[in-house]
Amino acid sequence: MLQYLIIILDDASVSYCHYDAPSDSPKGESLISLETLQAGIVFAMKENLNIQFVYPSYALPAEYAEVIESIDHTKIKPDAQTKEADVVVLTAWQTQKAEDVEGATCIIRTSCQELSEHQEQVKALLNKVARLNIVLTDVESFKDADADNYKSLLETLADMLTEIFKTGRMVQLNLLTDRLQLTQMNNCGAGDTTVTLAPNGKFYLCPAFYHDDPSQHVGSLEDGLDIKNRQLLRLDHAPICRHCDAFQCKRCIWMNSRLTLDANTPSHQQCMVAHLERNASRYLLAKMAEQGIRMSDTHDIPEINYLDPFTNYKQWK
Amino acid sequence: MDTLDIQDHSNSWQEGRAKSITFIVTKDCQLACKYCYLVGKNTKERMSWEVAKKAIDYILDKEEEFKEESVIWDFIGGEPFLEIDLVDRICDYLKTEMYRRNHHWFNSYRFSFSTNGINYHTEKVQKFIEKNRNHLSIGITIDGTQRKHDLNRIWKTPEMEQGIAPKPEDERGSYNDVVKNIPLWLEQFPGASTKVTISSADLPYIKESVLHLYSLGIKEVNINCVFEDVWKEDDDMLFEQQLMELADAIIDRKLYEDHTCSFFMEHIGKPMNRERDNQNWCGAGMMLAVDAAGMFYPCTRFAQYSLRNKQAWIIGDIHNGIDKNKLRPFLTLDRTTQSTEECITCEVASGCAWCQGENFDAADTHTVYQRSTAICRMHKARVRANNYYWNKLFRKLELENQREEFERQKANVREPKC
Repeated sequence: MLQYLIIILDDASVSYCHYDAPSDSPKGESLISLETLQAGIVFAMKENLNIQFVYPSYALPAEYAEVIESIDHTKIKPDAQTKEADVVVLTAWQTQKAEDVEGATCIIRTSCQELSEHQEQVKALLNKVARLNIVLTDVESFKDADADNYKSLLETLADMLTEIFKTGRMVQLNLLTDRLQLTQMNNCGAGDTTVTLAPNGKFYLCPAFYHDDPSQHVGSLEDGLDIKNRQLLRLDHAPICRHCDAFQCKRCIWMNSRLTLDANTPSHQQCMVAHLERNASRYLLAKMAEQGIRMSDTHDIPEINYLDPFTNYKQWK
Repeated sequence: MDTLDIQDHSNSWQEGRAKSITFIVTKDCQLACKYCYLVGKNTKERMSWEVAKKAIDYILDKEEEFKEESVIWDFIGGEPFLEIDLVDRICDYLKTEMYRRNHHWFNSYRFSFSTNGINYHTEKVQKFIEKNRNHLSIGITIDGTQRKHDLNRIWKTPEMEQGIAPKPEDERGSYNDVVKNIPLWLEQFPGASTKVTISSADLPYIKESVLHLYSLGIKEVNINCVFEDVWKEDDDMLFEQQLMELADAIIDRKLYEDHTCSFFMEHIGKPMNRERDNQNWCGAGMMLAVDAAGMFYPCTRFAQYSLRNKQAWIIGDIHNGIDKNKLRPFLTLDRTTQSTEECITCEVASGCAWCQGENFDAADTHTVYQRSTAICRMHKARVRANNYYWNKLFRKLELENQREEFERQKANVREPKC
């Protein structure tokens, strides 16, 4: 059931997920029209959807703010525009001012290698923010040989978190703390619980599909929403994912479409990365137990002997 | 009491245990069959020896990834015997290499061909058959009576290359060019079967065609309706009528004793259990196909020349190998995930077939998980006629005190799958 409408305010709106947003779009040139913005808001009101506005790095004209404020919403903003942001997307490791991120929910997009090189910055952020979402931008090129390094990096982050928790500061880090409290899949939901409105007035499964190829729309404000094969975006129609307990996985259907060519089937890379994070969450839970750290609503994570549930597919049939 | 000798369909070589690897050696064919799903046939895409060799080297180098105990090296076109020189060279190289490498497929292989039969008698083809006789399966497609065969299986004209269809009076059927080779084929492969395709225009000729094929000495007729959405209103009724007349003929003439027609299968037309009967129908993804460009596909039906609406589903190439990510959707396919609730709860679901390639081509999105239901009415008609056939046959056998003997002798009859 749809619950969220993401509205991309400009082609140059910041990326907060795996996809790259165009960086060469001139300021304001591809800004959503006021008419489209208003129609999008009315659509969300009629469909009972929560709106998430995704902002560009420049200040919007004043009349836009007035329309946006006419509805309850969430603002996803780049670090150049943190005023009133609900979610701040950090576009670089060291540019943010402390007051901009203090107690905030922040997202940082990074490659695995970059993350490894910026552990001190991660630590600094974890000491300021309420929640940090780390989004890997190179999942598609993740190799089996990278697994050990990523496992080691995640365990270092888990140790870091444990030290912070000992001070009484219970910060959230998506890669490690989400899985602790989940008992079922909690994925991105593109096309299932969430749909995206682009500046051109058309709907997309998520912003990535829009930026990849604007012809991949799933309806428009004018003609209504038209998501074909929508059942295939649900968990119960995803043969690998419905057998999986890496509950924190994004289950990115955009990456699925690129790597396996079928939206309901995750790639080996996505499964492996998600399972390394799942297992590191288990490691974190053990470390917390050693230190007597309690977090509400945590659940045991069983030990498993695979990184890709696909390896078990013959047993499901 | 007479002894019954009931034919079955379960003689596919190493069924389920063999890897099927298809060389699309050419996309050209002498014929331009009207129902052919190969919409992109052309004279240009002919496989070179270099591509074939590289494909073979890749496959044999990766022995650990091809663990099936046997292999079917399949050759398809267009018409594969148009490239008999290449085919012969490929087969010689395969035999030599499997032996040289002490590959586990050595001595557990078949060469398989689906041919229109036109070049079957030629010296080169016959020489090839002689050389590989013990490891060879060849299916010649003959569609039935001359009027049924020539209705669809017509010679290609030069104008067709430019997309110009011939006038009906200029169409030239291929029946006579094929039927002359049937005796030689049956002499060399006595148990050979033929594959008959039914589209809308063929429906009035089903009965006469199956009986005609039996009269030619072909004892196993594998026959199926095309999966594409070509069916007209009332086609199902016509189909049912034809099958019932065929059923009467087979039973009245006792042809069931040593002939089969795949339309009549005892165990089709039953409800299927959501959990227990959840296997996929089609073998796409378990097979491998390679074309003249050196591209790999999960089956030939995913190559561009087979697709009307979609881009080819390429899973790799001979230079870079197979991208296993692109096979994952196929290997995890099951019946219920790709089916509508109507299909899942259908009371006559068993035996209702699908082609993964056609499903993909007809799907609303880029997926192999949307089952095409264009064949629904035809399947239901088949089930009604099939029920009639078995009820009539069993009653006859009971009245002749042969039912028990029949039950004892009948093999485990299974539906042939692609």
